[in-house]
Amino acid sequence: MASVKPYESDWEFEARLRRRIRHLILISVGLLISLLFFFPVYLMVSSSFKSEGEIFAIPMHWIPHEFQGLRQYEFAFENTRLERWYINSLVIAAVQTIATVFFGALAGYGFAKFRFPGRNILFLFILSIMTVPFQILVIPMFVLVHQLGWHNSYQGLIMPGLISAFGVFMMRQFAYSVPDELLDAARIDGASEFSIFRRIALPMLKPAAASLAIITFLFSWNSFLWPLVIAQDRDLVTLPVGLTYFSQSLDREPLWAVAMAVSTMATIPVILLFVFFQRYFIEGMMVSGIKG
Amino acid sequence: MGLVQKRQYYGLLFVAPAVIFFAIFFLYPIVIGFGLSLTDFTLLKPPVWVGLQNYQDLLNDRLFLKSLNVTIGFVLGSTVPVWFISLAMAVLFFQRFPGRELMKVLFFTPLLPSVVVVSVIWKLLLHPSGILSSVIGPIVGQMPIKWLFDLQLSPIMSVVVHDWHIAPFYMIIWLSGLTSIPPELRDAARVDGANALQSFLRVELPLLKPTAVFVAAISTIRAFQGFSIQFVLSPSQGGPLDVNTTLGIVIWKYGFQFFRMGDAAAISVVLFAFILIFTLFQLRLGRSDDFSLS
Repeated sequence: MASVKPYESDWEFEARLRRRIRHLILISVGLLISLLFFFPVYLMVSSSFKSEGEIFAIPMHWIPHEFQGLRQYEFAFENTRLERWYINSLVIAAVQTIATVFFGALAGYGFAKFRFPGRNILFLFILSIMTVPFQILVIPMFVLVHQLGWHNSYQGLIMPGLISAFGVFMMRQFAYSVPDELLDAARIDGASEFSIFRRIALPMLKPAAASLAIITFLFSWNSFLWPLVIAQDRDLVTLPVGLTYFSQSLDREPLWAVAMAVSTMATIPVILLFVFFQRYFIEGMMVSGIKG
Repeated sequence: MGLVQKRQYYGLLFVAPAVIFFAIFFLYPIVIGFGLSLTDFTLLKPPVWVGLQNYQDLLNDRLFLKSLNVTIGFVLGSTVPVWFISLAMAVLFFQRFPGRELMKVLFFTPLLPSVVVVSVIWKLLLHPSGILSSVIGPIVGQMPIKWLFDLQLSPIMSVVVHDWHIAPFYMIIWLSGLTSIPPELRDAARVDGANALQSFLRVELPLLKPTAVFVAAISTIRAFQGFSIQFVLSPSQGGPLDVNTTLGIVIWKYGFQFFRMGDAAAISVVLFAFILIFTLFQLRLGRSDDFSLS
């Protein structure tokens, strides 16, 4: 007798039915929209395994019929400076990320934990930088870099993005949470101010630093306008600029499968960051909203 | 006592690298930017002072006026729809239903490729013999559809690509806003007999006002800077016939194609003025608490 399911009352049945219908509607709407948003990304990856002739097949081939393996990727590496562009992008992003996080933490800690004359005015200066987008600075920045003789050089590519005002701002917010007692205790032990920063503050800022590192890397990895105007030498070009060479050719049809292979290659590091550091990734994106 | 006072000066040492950096790579460029806008300058010869002539010329500059139109169109197209789409998606993903997490990740994917990659993908999608042309062409009875070469369609496509790319970003911001609303408030409204829609409009939306202002302001400020999508997506860096030439592209054209640095600097100042208005609007209405000193 115990195994017999008791009768469901009408009310319970109705509630269950309502929930089912509700789920069904939510699932179908959600699936429709999320697949719509996902489709272009899927197309990028799947097209990178197609042959050039298959790209415009009608109806579209969801799965490549003439699966090319990594041929289009090899083609891109063999026939362009892709390897160099990739290394350029990685090196620039790495240098800018490390510098932004370190100097951001340094200055953020300085603003949060010391009361020196001129502190407020200097911090206001940093805040005002955040409201000025790069598009506006590109002309005078180019002129400045030109004056320094750095156009067409790694210094020219890297320097303007070495420290970000947003990084200072963000690290300052988090540096407040470092307890003063801890710092004072270290001072009594005779530690120098810099070693207090390095040994006590910096480790406590790690989660914020992780978010900042991820968004700085993304920002640098994706940046387009500055490398476009500053790197004329093909060996200095970064990945996004190099990618446009595939799609901009006016005289002949671009090699689309190769372009999709390069696009996929350019997106892989971002996907890895997203998969392995999803929490910091999303947190970083959210706080960076203010960056504009 | 004197020691504590002295210690505070270490703060200056900590902030010095950043402050010096920004003096060189921000303050100085801003100053020469304003200065250059009052000159004719080609990089080859020293700048020639022309006063406000560059600004006066802009009033009759066909390309600049066109780009002002294009930019305002792009701003409207890439803020209003995104605001609604991202809010709707956040409300959807705020519900509990099976498969939600997977769908959220799928919806999030457009944010992962860079803007340039996004534009190249869509260039393929919108190719006259591409998938969208072959699917939609038969429905509207026109084959092939030249999405990117059509003077009306092309700027709309810039908006579509932008919105597709950025909607997930604003969805996340809305979602965190929704999550921060105490569930008791929603429950209380429901107990008082409000249906789901009423509770959303009367209880949740008013509480989301800071998020709403934030999304509106940030998307506007970003859209004013539109450059990469138009540059890569359009057949000829802002074309056809300049219908995708935003202020950002005009600055690039004047600066790096015509080497008219003075005019390009003047347009930058105008763009700055636009963005400043919306930044002040955002600071005033929105998250001003984020920017508090202390």
